[in-house]
Amino acid sequence: MHVSLSGLRIDRGGRRILDIATLDFPPGTVTAVFGPNGSGKTTLLRALAGLERSDGAVTIGGRPVSRGDRRVAIAFQEPVFVRGTVRANLALGLELRGVPARESDTRLASVAAACGIAGLLERSPRELSTGEAQRVNLARALALAAPVTLLDEPLSGFDRIGRSRMLEEVPALLAAHAATAVVVTHDREEAFRLARRLVLLIDGRVAAAGDAAVIYRAPPDAESARLLGYTVVPAAGRLVGFPPGALRHGQGPAQFELTVTREVDMGNHRHLVGVTDAEAGAIVAEIRLAEGEPAAAPGTRITVHPSRWVDFPVPGSRS
Amino acid sequence: MTALAEVAEIAARTLAISLAATALALAVGCPIGLALARGRFRGRTPLLAFVHAGMGMPPIVVGLVFWLLLTRSGPLGALGLVYTPYAMVIAQLAIAVPLVIGFTAASVQALPPLLPDLLTSLGARRWRSLWLLVREARLGILAAVMAGFGAVVSEVGAAMTVGGNLRGSTRVLTTAIVTATGRGEMGQAALLGAVLLALAFLVTLLLTLMQQRPR
Repeated sequence: MHVSLSGLRIDRGGRRILDIATLDFPPGTVTAVFGPNGSGKTTLLRALAGLERSDGAVTIGGRPVSRGDRRVAIAFQEPVFVRGTVRANLALGLELRGVPARESDTRLASVAAACGIAGLLERSPRELSTGEAQRVNLARALALAAPVTLLDEPLSGFDRIGRSRMLEEVPALLAAHAATAVVVTHDREEAFRLARRLVLLIDGRVAAAGDAAVIYRAPPDAESARLLGYTVVPAAGRLVGFPPGALRHGQGPAQFELTVTREVDMGNHRHLVGVTDAEAGAIVAEIRLAEGEPAAAPGTRITVHPSRWVDFPVPGSRS
Repeated sequence: MTALAEVAEIAARTLAISLAATALALAVGCPIGLALARGRFRGRTPLLAFVHAGMGMPPIVVGLVFWLLLTRSGPLGALGLVYTPYAMVIAQLAIAVPLVIGFTAASVQALPPLLPDLLTSLGARRWRSLWLLVREARLGILAAVMAGFGAVVSEVGAAMTVGGNLRGSTRVLTTAIVTATGRGEMGQAALLGAVLLALAFLVTLLLTLMQQRPR
């Protein structure tokens, strides 16, 4: 189902926390909403679920979303449960939405298996670890198989192995019922592995929206670039942003000076960490050293250049 | 009527009046407590303060107010309720209601703030959502019932004032103890006291068993 919002403005405590002119989520797509803490990601998700009073309109399939809209399933970041077993918690939403008992059992079993909680069904949620509770929380939303599924930091409580598995399972589960999904995350890898589309949210405004790879290759501004993991440094009167791993020793069109602070052995490769003097304070940058490449001693000033970069206007200057 | 039969009759009346008052207090107080806990309206905090003040209202004052209202020459005198068990239920209801409202509001407010949104998002409509919230706040609400019952079964001031302690009609265990003590019948007073304690304990035990039911 097509999800669309327009003129969405939400104020809280006299502060505008969300201000979005228009935003579309095409049917059957997974979109990651990516942004720093306090950028309004969760509020946007709640607005899509009809849980926020706002100016503007949110529509699903052309019809306005309502509070408690049954076309929507949402997994909140904080797992909250009602009394009863994990099974009862998973079944509650299905029962409230009038899903027949037999179908409810089948759905519950398949989602529980996918989320790795089949062995927890008869336990009380109070007995669960943080990671287990997070998995049950995610399973409860996925079990509803809603046309619009909203997930707030769904993998935050998973360990590395569980997370890696869920990064494959979640898109498959969403695709199984052709859900239009919106996933809020502050983890770049998670955003890119779960979704093809990306919405960058900064200070309650959409900084960029569209294909994730396109946005990554050409961030619209320095702040978006930093959010995507770019290092942004002043070089020759401009701002140069480069992605992780792009920095090289030596001279180039966007070169700048770096004072080496230390060498870090990452196990499979080595990094040189250094700081560059910038008007806005020191910026830490890393150079990946090639096999056998000698490291520079701490305190040494070296010239470096990114192999790939994006130019941004310096704030306050006329472009 | 033998002394024991009279004690049994008084005990039964005590139980009937106090249980009726508690049940009505629950019916009235629980929705108000929910509204005070969940509502965001002007005057909510002063209203809560008023309820909290009412939780410690002296029964004798409550009795006096209701006597003034219900007495033959009072504004509600035409109802003919004064010195009847109904008047006692009404006065005891007024004592228990603030307790039920206060405990209910506190226990609902103690639930995870996200719970109402969760229930709504899962698909619960208004009334189902409220019922599920009450179920989640069961521990506190049953504590409210226990506090309410404890307060009314043990009070003497309101029962005496609006009931009049009429033998065979409005005499309850507390007012009977006052009468027995006044007459110097300490054995009878002690027996009535023991029955009152046993009654209060049994009802509270039953409510505690309900409250502590697993899951």
